Amino acid sequence: MSIIQTCNVKYSYDRNKTILKNVSTEFETGKIYAILGPSGCGKTTLLSLLGGLDSPAEGQVLFQGEDIGQKGLAWHRKNNVAFIFQNYNLIDYMTPAENVALTSKLPPLPILARLGLTKEEAKRNVLKLSGGQQQRVAIARALASDVGILLADEPTGNLDEDTAAGITNILKECAHQMNKCVIIATHSHDLAKQADVVMRLRKGELQITDVFNAND
Amino acid sequence: MIFIKRAGLYCLRQRCRTIILFLVLTIIAAFILTGIAIRDAAEGATADVRTAIGGKIILDIDKDAAAWKNEQYDWGTAATYSGDQITQKQVDAISKVDGVADYNVEETAAYYGAGVNFDYLPATYELSYTPYGEPSIYTVTLSSGKCKSFLSGKYKLVDGRHITPDDKYTCLISKQLADYNKLSVGDKIKMYSLDSDSISEFEIIGIFDGTEGSFGNEDTVSDVPANWGYIDYAALQDIFKNIFNIDYYQHLTIFVDDPANIQNVYDKISALPELKGKTLKLTIDTDEYDVVSTPLTSLQKLVNTTIIIVCIVSAAVLTLLLTIWIRGRKKEIGILLSIGKSKANIILQIFTETFAVAMISFAAAIPFSNLTAQKAGAILVSRITTGTTNLHVHMDAAYFPAFCVIGVFLIAVSVLASTWPVVRSKPKDILAKMS
Repeated sequence: MSIIQTCNVKYSYDRNKTILKNVSTEFETGKIYAILGPSGCGKTTLLSLLGGLDSPAEGQVLFQGEDIGQKGLAWHRKNNVAFIFQNYNLIDYMTPAENVALTSKLPPLPILARLGLTKEEAKRNVLKLSGGQQQRVAIARALASDVGILLADEPTGNLDEDTAAGITNILKECAHQMNKCVIIATHSHDLAKQADVVMRLRKGELQITDVFNAND
Repeated sequence: MIFIKRAGLYCLRQRCRTIILFLVLTIIAAFILTGIAIRDAAEGATADVRTAIGGKIILDIDKDAAAWKNEQYDWGTAATYSGDQITQKQVDAISKVDGVADYNVEETAAYYGAGVNFDYLPATYELSYTPYGEPSIYTVTLSSGKCKSFLSGKYKLVDGRHITPDDKYTCLISKQLADYNKLSVGDKIKMYSLDSDSISEFEIIGIFDGTEGSFGNEDTVSDVPANWGYIDYAALQDIFKNIFNIDYYQHLTIFVDDPANIQNVYDKISALPELKGKTLKLTIDTDEYDVVSTPLTSLQKLVNTTIIIVCIVSAAVLTLLLTIWIRGRKKEIGILLSIGKSKANIILQIFTETFAVAMISFAAAIPFSNLTAQKAGAILVSRITTGTTNLHVHMDAAYFPAFCVIGVFLIAVSVLASTWPVVRSKPKDILAKMS
């Protein structure tokens, strides 16, 4: 059963440049979705609409069948989705533990420990961590919120291959073991190969394939 | 994590900004507290002036309304006022009116006395039309302390005491005259009155100054202010008891508790049966109060305007400072929006940060503003008022509720003005700009 879906979603900048044309699709829990496409094709925009960071010009985004605008986009962001960004987006005057605590009342250290951060690292300033560690903190923050959908925008874009592979494994674990719906916007073919469903955005339209094919 | 904890973390971790904000808010707080203290002191001084001077109602004989009769004297005919005089019975009735604080009789130049055992300060021309030389003029009064020159601060009693209604054959003389004759309080002077052709002895009960600077420029002895003095009304009545009937007054000054209530008191006095149908004239006189209170009112207006300007400038400075800092916090705001924090929650965090620092700043500003208020108050008093007014500028705990209301309002306005342009943006736009 789909947890989130888009119905004829249309989005354009300045009324002239249409980014998304009648995009209708569904996302299920327990799966990783990879959205591929060239820069500027609207991958991030689609994630923003799914995450309630913006509203479509036309159409609807439904969470469990209900328009996300009904309870408010802030409510949707707080209770239904969590973001993981390419540039981590951690609050720089806080420690990893405090960043994780932003979204949850649960103790942050066990979540950070599960993602491989030591107690000492969890209490350092986030800017003193490596890129991979910062992304782990961002994922920990997303997981701490205990929501059903993780929206990841180029989560491995700033990471080296080994670290990226580690992050990819964590995301797979989130989908397959924690039964979350993980939607990733990426350029990375390596990451897309790990996805259960691959989607391609071309000229504002979304094409869906069940498996990654590099020639598509 | 609740906004209060986030605000606390921000203040602790961003120490440099916290210290700058603390200093700015301390300066703003000191300015506003200084303004409030001076304004309050001016209000207090105005109230003191009200109590000290009060409003005045003048009861006069109405020379226009009464008939005049011609009387024949040895030297010729003179028209004499034949209307009603102010009697003691009327004065007693007036003194019982609610709102009347006191009354006084002040008859300027009602007694002319030539010095028998003392000399007046000389004038340009020396006239000798009495056996004891030229007389000088004396104001006859029930209470010299309530006479115009003393109330306005022109004269000040430097030794002894004032004339009161119970005194008889007492006088006040100027310090210049006392020094000229080596007279002091307790000494007795004798004066000759040409009108009564008698010599009377008066005890000096007080010496006043304020006549300086006018000596040597006058034509006659009675033109020299230092030769002027005050004697009690009982003496005048006694001196002339066999010549004129002066068991009445022609001019009564009525003091009211509060000038703001003067019209009400005036109406009550006008309605007294003792005054109905009499050829007496009742008028309101706030001249002296106005003279003393106008500079204070001006000071209050000036300080009020200054407080408003300081508030506006403070809000502008604070808004500018917060705007600069919040521009650097767009990423943080975008992150908070992306994890579902509401706009109100984010504004509350920034408000709490500023408010927390402000509370410490306000406390720190108290001793600082106490000093500045006293200095500024002294400067303003010396420049604006006549110098006769005392301004007691001090910090009072009672100022803080009003001050905190102003402070919180300023902070709220500044935080809203500085955060709103960022917070009103779509989270996606903020995050996109960050990328």
